Amino acid sequence: MLEVVNVTKRFGGIVALRNVSLKVERGERIAIVGPNGSGKTTLFNVINGVYPPEEGKVIFEGADITMLPSYKRAWLGIARAFQIPRPFPNITLRESVAIGALFGSLYGKIGAREALEIADERLKLVGLYDKRNELTGKLAVPELKLLEFAKALAMKPKLLLLDEIVAGMPPSAVDYIVSLVRKISDEENIAIATLVEHVMRAVVKFAERVIVLHLGSKVLEGRPEEVLRNPLMEEIYLGKRWSL
Amino acid sequence: MGSVLGLGAVGLSLIFGVLRVVNLAHGAFLMLGMYITYWLFVLYGLNPAISLIPSFIVGLLIGAIVYQTIISRIMYGPELSTLVAGVGLMILLEEAAKVMWEPTYRGFIYDIGTVYVGGIGLPLSKVASALLSLLLVAVFFIVLYKTKLGTAVRALMQDPEGAALCGINVRLMYALMFSLGVSLALMSGSLIALHQQQGINPYVGHSYLLIAFVIVVLGGLGSLHGAYVGGILVGVIISLSTLVFTFFGVPQPMILAHFIAFLLILIILLLRPQGLFGGK
Amino acid sequence: MMGYRAFLLTVFTLLILVALRFITEAEPIGFITPQFVTFVMFYVALGLAFNIFIGMTGYVDFGYVAFMALGSYAMASAINRASSLSLPGYGAIILGLVETIVLTFILALIVGGIALRLRGAYFAIATISVNEGLRFLVDGLDIWGGSAGIYVSGPLIRLVGHEAYSFIALIVSDLLLYATAFIALIITFVYLNSRIGYALKAIREDEDAAKVMGVNTTFYKVLAFSTSGILGGLIGASWALKLAAVYPPEAFNIFYTVEAIVIVMLGGAGTFLGPIVGGAVYGGLKYVLSGYIPGYQLLIFAPILIAIIVMVPQGVIGFLRERSERLREFIA
Repeated sequence: MLEVVNVTKRFGGIVALRNVSLKVERGERIAIVGPNGSGKTTLFNVINGVYPPEEGKVIFEGADITMLPSYKRAWLGIARAFQIPRPFPNITLRESVAIGALFGSLYGKIGAREALEIADERLKLVGLYDKRNELTGKLAVPELKLLEFAKALAMKPKLLLLDEIVAGMPPSAVDYIVSLVRKISDEENIAIATLVEHVMRAVVKFAERVIVLHLGSKVLEGRPEEVLRNPLMEEIYLGKRWSL
Repeated sequence: MGSVLGLGAVGLSLIFGVLRVVNLAHGAFLMLGMYITYWLFVLYGLNPAISLIPSFIVGLLIGAIVYQTIISRIMYGPELSTLVAGVGLMILLEEAAKVMWEPTYRGFIYDIGTVYVGGIGLPLSKVASALLSLLLVAVFFIVLYKTKLGTAVRALMQDPEGAALCGINVRLMYALMFSLGVSLALMSGSLIALHQQQGINPYVGHSYLLIAFVIVVLGGLGSLHGAYVGGILVGVIISLSTLVFTFFGVPQPMILAHFIAFLLILIILLLRPQGLFGGK
Repeated sequence: MMGYRAFLLTVFTLLILVALRFITEAEPIGFITPQFVTFVMFYVALGLAFNIFIGMTGYVDFGYVAFMALGSYAMASAINRASSLSLPGYGAIILGLVETIVLTFILALIVGGIALRLRGAYFAIATISVNEGLRFLVDGLDIWGGSAGIYVSGPLIRLVGHEAYSFIALIVSDLLLYATAFIALIITFVYLNSRIGYALKAIREDEDAAKVMGVNTTFYKVLAFSTSGILGGLIGASWALKLAAVYPPEAFNIFYTVEAIVIVMLGGAGTFLGPIVGGAVYGGLKYVLSGYIPGYQLLIFAPILIAIIVMVPQGVIGFLRERSERLREFIA
């Protein structure tokens, strides 16, 4: 469904992504793993249309979307939940989520009333329904992360990009979110790509496939158990001990 | 003229650079400075150069009061609040000036001779004011780059949180820099009074506020040396384009020259929003 | 429809105000006179029209008065043309309105297309420059009479005669103004309850996040900017009918923009109730103060304004809305 072909992205002299390719199938869950600075966020930004790559292509459902602005990608069904929540502080939760519904893959097909219904349903799903008429600015951080998730889901995406949604959360919340994401992905056949820096346990539970980025290149790809056992992982995260 | 305008623009840019506040009362502060020069000269025959001292002190005082009562309470709020508060302050100062000094134009002539440069006669008072403003700006930059206080200010402009962690009293610095910015505006006004051919009135600050924006944008918002150089550039651009328009027989060359200045803002904002001298 | 009860209540209140204008024609009730009503409605219309852009998107347009000026000029020049060709008078007014809409729309597209790429203080300064630049252009190139301005009342009297003129300057101009206020109110309500309103709110809150969520930010910003601009032009056009002449320093007076900002701030940005409350309070206060203490009203008004900004920066309605969930549901 999503295909990233030989993408290279530079910032000035720094190569953030080097010839990276990957595929995501419908309903599949993948995790993109790598330490800070490995190019994970850049990869998401390229898929998402924040900036175009210098080389390579991004293909979604057979169409080349490399140069498409990000709002049009949202209409095609690519949604994103940011790592640091980007709330709309002065409007209510319900309105925030309704914005997702109005401008996601249902863009142009529904009106405000239907969008609010979808918002209610999505807020119920993540457990924030009781606070639907509160202003977003009043929420605590874990709730904001859930709201971010609800906003992305309201877009009825085919592909959901999750930036580190579990980072910085208490373990109990991690389990809750991971099982929630799994459930929704299975029920609605949503492909999910998530960025993971550290919480490996979550990766194993969640992803069907893991892609490891290191210094802008794809170095490993495979089933989570295999990848985590690969000695290269230790090298990436702990440095080359033997070369000291 | 450009140098004198540059002095005021440095004040505006200082406030924006340090506090991230666009001070819309800037023009009103210039107006106050002009009145200080005017009254001291008319009532006591005081040399306009000396009136820079009272302008400096009054500027610090007003700046401190305004910071404490208004700016410190809203500077972290939405941008709109500080903009509107600035307008409120502008109206307040102008109306107070109107009530105290009447809305009529008042002018004075401070003639200390004329110098001839390349056949063009320049009134000595204007030359002196340009040199004085250059001197003041030089002092300001020496303080900024050679003293501990200056280092703290520059740190604050880069990264307020980092500066706070380094033990800089951010609130005190904000108060100081706001006051200093206002002081610079008043001193600039004091000197502009010498260039004001049709005299001064309470609303004289408006056109200077807008010109100050041109200058600050030209030099880069928050860039201090950019503001000063921008001031000189704007002075030159307006004079030159006035000359060119006069040459081509345009009905109102001076006014069209101002149009060019504003056109310049738009072009610069679009092509190089960091200004000609601002870094990325 | 969210907030429809508040909407109906507002329409009803404004209708009463309009009715008062005609009731007090014969005899004033207290300080309420036709002039008072029109004065208040002018600021209500201004607040509503301006709010569609500034309140909903959070962008501060300091050049707003340029739209009003353009409207005034369009109306004045249409009347002058009709007068020199001796065309029917009401036709000239209709033509003036049409030209206002076309010209302000073009200005909005140009300025919006260019300046809306900038944000925050940069946008505010760019719009000031557009306003001042236009003023200097009109003045410097002698467009529309240059600094001398362009007459309205004279040509209009020649066109329709004295009796019809006073009817146009008093009644027709008032009605056009009220109509603009109602149109602005209805548009605000429709926007708030449709995709457009949600898009604009998202832009106001976090433009980058909005884009990623599928909001075509440029389109909606330009839409709000031109809607607000055209309405501003209509206010300028209807007001011009009352004037003797339109000339640059008055037409492009940045103080109108400032007043519009104050009204929106006073009432609370982004709602339709905010600018109405703000406009009524501001207009009413200004009218009453200028009646009792002419010449000093601004001196008293300025500290009040500052106090409001310092104490309730989100505006009266914004303040209440933040505190009460019921009010949030009521006004949307």
